[in-house]
Amino acid sequence: MPTDPTSAGVLRVEDLSITFDGLPDGFRLVDSVSFEVRAGRTLCLVGESGCGKSILSLSVMGLLARPPARIASGRVLFEGRDLLTLDAAAMADLRGDRITMIFQEPMTSLNPALTIGDQLTEVILRHRAVSAAEASRQAVAMLQQVRIPAPESRLAAYPHQMSGGMRQRVMIAMALANQPRLIIADEPTTALDVTIQAQILRLIRDLQRTNGSALLLVTHDLGVVAEVADDVAVMYAGRIVEHGSATSLFSDPQHPYTIGLMGSLPSLGTRQSRLASIPGAVPPPSQWPVGCRFSTRCPFADARCRAEVPEAREIAPGHIVACFKAPIELQAESAA
Amino acid sequence: MLKLILNRLLIAIPTLLIVSLFVFALQHALPGDPFLVMAGEERDPEAIARLRAIYRMDDPIIMQYFAWLGQVVQGEFGRSLRTGEPVLGLILQKLPVTIQLAAASMLVALAIGLPAGIIAAVRKGTAADYTASAIALSGLSIPNFWLGIVMILVFAVELRWLPASGYVPFFSDPLGALETLVMPAFVLGSGLAAFIMRHTRSAMLEVLRSDYVRTARAKGLDERVVINKHALRNALIPVITLSTILFGELLAGAVLTEQVFTIPGFGKLIVDAVFNRDYGVVQGVVLCTAVGFIGMNLLADVLYIVVNPRLRGR
Repeated sequence: MPTDPTSAGVLRVEDLSITFDGLPDGFRLVDSVSFEVRAGRTLCLVGESGCGKSILSLSVMGLLARPPARIASGRVLFEGRDLLTLDAAAMADLRGDRITMIFQEPMTSLNPALTIGDQLTEVILRHRAVSAAEASRQAVAMLQQVRIPAPESRLAAYPHQMSGGMRQRVMIAMALANQPRLIIADEPTTALDVTIQAQILRLIRDLQRTNGSALLLVTHDLGVVAEVADDVAVMYAGRIVEHGSATSLFSDPQHPYTIGLMGSLPSLGTRQSRLASIPGAVPPPSQWPVGCRFSTRCPFADARCRAEVPEAREIAPGHIVACFKAPIELQAESAA
Repeated sequence: MLKLILNRLLIAIPTLLIVSLFVFALQHALPGDPFLVMAGEERDPEAIARLRAIYRMDDPIIMQYFAWLGQVVQGEFGRSLRTGEPVLGLILQKLPVTIQLAAASMLVALAIGLPAGIIAAVRKGTAADYTASAIALSGLSIPNFWLGIVMILVFAVELRWLPASGYVPFFSDPLGALETLVMPAFVLGSGLAAFIMRHTRSAMLEVLRSDYVRTARAKGLDERVVINKHALRNALIPVITLSTILFGELLAGAVLTEQVFTIPGFGKLIVDAVFNRDYGVVQGVVLCTAVGFIGMNLLADVLYIVVNPRLRGR
């Protein structure tokens, strides 16, 4: 894992496995996942839908319903404390305060029956011993920070009176109101207009940096990753297949899946008539292969890949890959 | 808001016209002649003819309708064919009885149905959910008259805790009114509570799955706040509509329950009137009930806007 001695690890996930009741024994939707997010830095968790990244982020928030979900192994350390062992009340104290979340759907994530001001002051009043007037003042300041025009007048507005982009700004204001140590953003720009996406992304990044918060950003969009990531963890079918700094992953992707994803990243510099893409889709958990889970779609897969699970290996300082074939610099050309 | 109310009141006029025309026609199509009854044992054809002339029964039916309508517009509902009492007086006399019973029953229904529905949804799949559903189902399937009779036998006849029947106006004797209301209100309310419970449960289940409830939880809010503030407010929207419709039905009279507890309300009035072919009374009561229904619908619309800000300012 890339290390930076100046920043402390805020979130450290160690060997986390999550299973669901009703699934066959030993079946893990999130399988032995480890990563770390440090203060002031951004880790992007990348993968296609169905790879387990949302389950993972909800489990860090303590919002995964257990049961049916069950933690099969591992720890989720937040500032040294294992969140998985906290009781509901202690977890609720952290949630919305030290750990906050920005969701994918701004159109449905705000309560339609309550005013913006109510929903925004609520999270301040829940975690801070301040008066209602002070909470209102802070709410206005937050709306100002997320660059919502005429913030005072917005407190009385209802969500339906605002656009999707504006609502996501409100969600960001809510997530940042208590200066959290860790922000989890699950596809925060996916549901937005393309023209708004970059603005929202920059806003999240700027506020996170001024706050010094750690940011765990979950996305399927490599364009987003290129824009904000310090570190990247690529997830496929419940496992992290490649992990490293954004620079090393973009310049030297090693896992065939990452290479495939890069191949499907539209580049503005080169005119492509057609997007390259990986044939097939993430199989449903019931059809995950025994060995490397990518083996069914991998152009390099052989008998060993289909039989054994590849261990994560550090192939360059801080650059970890779970593939028998790595390093595969020459083949990368033909795969992309 | 004001515009909506005016709009609804304008729409109410043709609705009431259609209702009155329908009832008028239907009633006159019924076999039986009130004047045969009124004319007494001898059934003197001359007397009957005279009576029919007084009540303009030999005019074409459409003329009769307009004659009646013309009077109603002036606030004159005519007199009961049987007793000669003014219809409006009868209505004004029975209406408070029915409103009192309907309000008490609705309170019982909401007091049982809402919490049961919320608990069943929040604890979905647990013993609490199944218990609430089982009780709701039994509330739906136990016939009102049977429950009423059993309650009278137990609480009035055996235990002598409550009066078996009667009506006491709430504003003249609140305690006495409550005593007479407890049993009929429970009988009517328990049946309606089942409806309210089912609707509250399904609305709550849907809302609890919503993104904004997840957001509320992500804020670290207490589960009570999540449910009472964030979920319930949205789940109540469909329940409000249901409740006002149920209340409208209660206003139309709970015939069986009123019979069991001998409550002199609307239900008894209209049943007696229909059996006696007391045209004026039936028409008056039906018209009044229709006004009640329209009023409840209007109330539902207004409450809707109060709880649902998306509908405001349109």
